[in-house]
Amino acid sequence: MKKIFIIFITVLLMLWPVAAFAHGVDINYQTKTAVEIVAKFDTGQPVSGAQVIVYAPDNPTEPWVTGKADENGRYIFTPDPSKPGTWDVQVRLAGHGGVVHVPVGGDNTAASGSTGYGTIQIVVMSACVIWGFIGTALYFGRRKS
Amino acid sequence: MKKTVNLAAGIVLLLFLLAISGCNSGASDETGQQAQQSAQKTGTLQFIANGEDFVRQGFVSKDGWAITFDHVYVNLSDITAYQADPPYDAHAGGAVQAQNKAALAGTYTVDLALGDENADPILVGEVTDAVSGHYNAISWKMIRATEGPAEGYSMMIKGMAEKDGQTVDFTIKDEQEYLYTGGDYVGDERKGVLQEGGTANVEMTFHFDHIFGDAETPLEDELNTGAPGFKPFASIAKNGRVDVDMATLESMITQEDYQKLQAMLPTLGHVGEGHCNVEKL
Repeated sequence: MKKIFIIFITVLLMLWPVAAFAHGVDINYQTKTAVEIVAKFDTGQPVSGAQVIVYAPDNPTEPWVTGKADENGRYIFTPDPSKPGTWDVQVRLAGHGGVVHVPVGGDNTAASGSTGYGTIQIVVMSACVIWGFIGTALYFGRRKS
Repeated sequence: MKKTVNLAAGIVLLLFLLAISGCNSGASDETGQQAQQSAQKTGTLQFIANGEDFVRQGFVSKDGWAITFDHVYVNLSDITAYQADPPYDAHAGGAVQAQNKAALAGTYTVDLALGDENADPILVGEVTDAVSGHYNAISWKMIRATEGPAEGYSMMIKGMAEKDGQTVDFTIKDEQEYLYTGGDYVGDERKGVLQEGGTANVEMTFHFDHIFGDAETPLEDELNTGAPGFKPFASIAKNGRVDVDMATLESMITQEDYQKLQAMLPTLGHVGEGHCNVEKL
């Protein structure tokens, strides 16, 4: 009987924290890169309330998202990083407008890819590294023999 | 034993180099094939000239003149659309960088006022074997016509203005030549995206409210403060008519009005609502 009581209390204590966290909040985070557009007229005045249309690089004809600039001509959107390339953002107000081109993701990869080494240079460098390993192996192999 | 090891190492190195070389050669072949396929994917690219509803339907100038147009001739040449990479920045100017272009040969005198008030913009011409892709830049020249109704001028505007019972028949001619270069079309729809076997269009847009102003736009708007309006032309009308080119106009209106007009004339060319870079030729 005493044993059953102890088990009961133990189970109760195990359940208690579950009840305590029933109204808890599960918070996760994910970092994303947002793009801020600020549109101004040539005079420096903000293009307040301008219509904004964002086109993703994989579909240049259909808007990816549309919105409105705030009173300071500012608009923020978060491009989908799985769609690398040039994102086009069109801003219009009362017959005035323009398009700004925002490079996203892929360009960075391309930039890091273009390190300035040519294909031949890379091949020669790789060959040198491999030969270094082989040479080292041969050196130690000779000492043993 | 030493020779055998060296020989083995040499073979390993040779195989490695061949492997890299082989991969590289495969990539080149692939790129070549893609380029060839891309070259084969073509469609029809149409070139449109649009004077907008201002020209087709008429409008009221900033100083209250109701203006309608009989003919608005622009003489266009060297019309070229580009798949610009990087995208063209009209503010920065310079030449368009593009691997694929589509160009209309010849010179075209286009009447932007052709048709009724609901007429479509004018089809100037088309290229039926344009490489598919996004034509995100366009350039064209507006040069003096050597024949036709606008002979001697790059632009000729004929119409009628009316205010408070007074009417003025006007002909305004511009002999200056221009090179316009614009980037992406700015408007309700996206233009210039040409699919294989499809048809797309690019547009040369002309904003005539830049000359006369627009009563439906606030007077303090830059558009209206910069526009000379119709009053300078009305003030030199004789017997209800005015027929001037820029050379004769300079001595007939105030320097302030003339300078405003000279500042606005190069800004007529647009891509939809997007501004173009302009050079006087």
